[in-house]
Amino acid sequence: MISVHGLRKHYKVHKRPPGLKAALRSLVHRTYSTVKAVDGISFDIRPGERVGFLGPNGAGKTTTLKVLSGLLHPSEGEVRVDGHVPRLREEAFLKKIMLVMGQKQQLLWDLPPAETFELNRAIYDVPAVQYKQTLDELVSLLEISDLIGKPTRQLSLGERMKCELAAALIHRPRVLFLDEPTIGLDVSMQATMRTFIKEYNEKYGATLILTSHYMDDVAALCPRVIVIDKGLLSYDGSLDALVQRVRPEKRVVLRLAEEVDGARLAPLGKVVTHEAGTAVLQVRQDAVNATISRALSGLPVTDLTVENAPLEEVMSELFAENKARRQQAEAEAASAGESVPA
Amino acid sequence: MVRRYLRLLGVQLKASGLQALQYRADFFTEGVTSLFWIFTALAPLFVVYGKRPEVEGWSFGEALLVVGWFTLLQGLLEGAINPSLTGVVEHIRKGTLDFVLLKPADAQFLVSTQRFLPWRAFNVLTGVALFAYAFWLLGRPPSLTGMLASVVLLGTSTLLLYSLWILTVSAAFFVVRVDNLTYLFTSIFDFARWPSSVFKGVARGSLTFLFTYIIPLALMTTFPAEAMLGRLPLLSLVGAVGGSLVFAWLARRVWRYSIGHYTSASS
Repeated sequence: MISVHGLRKHYKVHKRPPGLKAALRSLVHRTYSTVKAVDGISFDIRPGERVGFLGPNGAGKTTTLKVLSGLLHPSEGEVRVDGHVPRLREEAFLKKIMLVMGQKQQLLWDLPPAETFELNRAIYDVPAVQYKQTLDELVSLLEISDLIGKPTRQLSLGERMKCELAAALIHRPRVLFLDEPTIGLDVSMQATMRTFIKEYNEKYGATLILTSHYMDDVAALCPRVIVIDKGLLSYDGSLDALVQRVRPEKRVVLRLAEEVDGARLAPLGKVVTHEAGTAVLQVRQDAVNATISRALSGLPVTDLTVENAPLEEVMSELFAENKARRQQAEAEAASAGESVPA
Repeated sequence: MVRRYLRLLGVQLKASGLQALQYRADFFTEGVTSLFWIFTALAPLFVVYGKRPEVEGWSFGEALLVVGWFTLLQGLLEGAINPSLTGVVEHIRKGTLDFVLLKPADAQFLVSTQRFLPWRAFNVLTGVALFAYAFWLLGRPPSLTGMLASVVLLGTSTLLLYSLWILTVSAAFFVVRVDNLTYLFTSIFDFARWPSSVFKGVARGSLTFLFTYIIPLALMTTFPAEAMLGRLPLLSLVGAVGGSLVFAWLARRVWRYSIGHYTSASS
């Protein structure tokens, strides 16, 4: 469905140091530097897959999505979405896709969302019968029947986001790019959005790429993740395997009937937290069974669960690892440069 | 294809009509502003012609025709062209042009038809009223061929104005803040209220040259007024049609090129 090979997107940006003097100088003499937003990534996505794009801020996630949806022209590399070259922006291609951006809105600000839906119906040539059916379905699934008649500017962020999603799906796109669709939403609204997105994917077999800073979104929606860091692909595979690789240890959470001295916990594993009758231990996977039986026999345990490390921690560890590797490579390159005789 | 775009135009017109009606107070202030602008368009004419019977071969009645065209085109510019294209600049700055480019329809069409100010039709009607008054002053009706030619020129003038705006807006893809450019454009358009020959004496005719060939203001107001008076050479009419088509083609090319350089804004 989607294939990306050797994608690069470089920007030339004008750079100047702060201050009035530098600002004046830059009027005459401008210095440019190249920003490598995406620097050679490749992946393939099958029809109907749900893939999470992860990476720290400025990693190149949004840039990749924009290249995939034809908004930005790639500097290099080959990109295909369902056989189309996105940058050509063919009508057939644009009718198949949609990009939803949590931070930008397409709804007409002064008019009720229903007007935007109507506008999109005309633009996407949606037949009347299909339009009514899709709209009814979206309205009931997202519970927005009371909202679509109110001017957009009077809606809350969460209400607006639900209507945004409805506006984006009027033409039943087969490929859906979601760029932080749950940003700024409260926990229950995030859950509603997730459920809805998953249902849409399952019902229409739509291919889905999601970027989000909320790991819960990714964990709930995406069996496969692609991690991008500084424009480079650093992981592509299942989310479980990623967690296994970065943090092979499990977390054993113990709820205790009474306060226990820290010294009694230490031999069981690495103590992550220990407060108010709850202790979290980090234990190697092969030692989990032994730890559990020792804890149950030696401590006043009332409840016990075994969990993976929180995704947020896994991700920040992965990003830190990548950063350290990059710095080391740079240092090696620098020292190699020095040792070459002039 | 044509039918689809006509339908799209209908939907866009409906949405902007609804937007205009959404705010009742705006609707009335727009009306009052329109009246005010018409007055300011006429005032200098009264000042100039208060002391002399004609300026560079244009009598008061004839010059009034030029002001009529200026008012009419200003109505078109501010009612149908300006609001949409100012919206584009906003789209580019905020990065919401993304949504326009994602739509399976011509992006230039979509941005050019996104907003209308229906109240500006008032200017267009005033322009027509000024024509009637001018011919009443002149004491003769316009020639039939002259009227036909002026209708053709209405088309070319609108196309020219629109193309000039597209060119201005295309600059927004590269420099982002083009508010100043749009002000510059409206200020320059102000010159179109005068018959182009009044600028003959300025800088050895270079202004007349500028306003005929570089920024074709003369084509927009002086030519149709002359056509109505039955004194526009056929060659000028052909030139105006050809010139406006070339301008439109050029604007389209520049627009397409600019879209390719769209960098979008931060996520």
